[in-house]
Amino acid sequence: MAEFIIQIAAILIFLAILCGVIRLVIGRTLVDRIVAIDMLTVISISLIALYAHVSGRFVYIDVALVYGLLSFLAVLAIARFLEKGL
Amino acid sequence: MLEFLLLLVCASILVSGVLAVCLKDVLPAMVASGLASLFAAVSFLLLAAPDVAMAEAAIGSGLATFIFLYAIRKTGNGKG
Repeated sequence: MAEFIIQIAAILIFLAILCGVIRLVIGRTLVDRIVAIDMLTVISISLIALYAHVSGRFVYIDVALVYGLLSFLAVLAIARFLEKGL
Repeated sequence: MLEFLLLLVCASILVSGVLAVCLKDVLPAMVASGLASLFAAVSFLLLAAPDVAMAEAAIGSGLATFIFLYAIRKTGNGKG
């Protein structure tokens, strides 16, 4: 049962990465692409957490933690730049 | 199962790298190169190198974005 749920989660992450990359490729405005990269960051964090559970190495959770903090800073910097700040 | 995810991540690195080269405007190209760095970090982690992935996430996605934004602002928002 747990194996089945993990496979469903992997399929959902697969489809979500596909949709995010398609949005990035055809994105008309810059804001579309920024939202797409923010969404792909969250999907990547969930992928890292899933892989940490599957492989049984819980050191990988630390990478997800560092990644969440830094991606937040990057999106915040781009948003401040669009408002002519920085 | 995870092999397909690794293949998709590598294909996404390829797509975002081509996009970073081919886009006309500067800011979307910077966003695309940040995405290539993001997926490179994920693929490093899927290939069992978590410390390399952490360094790539810190430098590629965090520091490079700030440096690119600073350079774009210093050179007139990519217009000239």
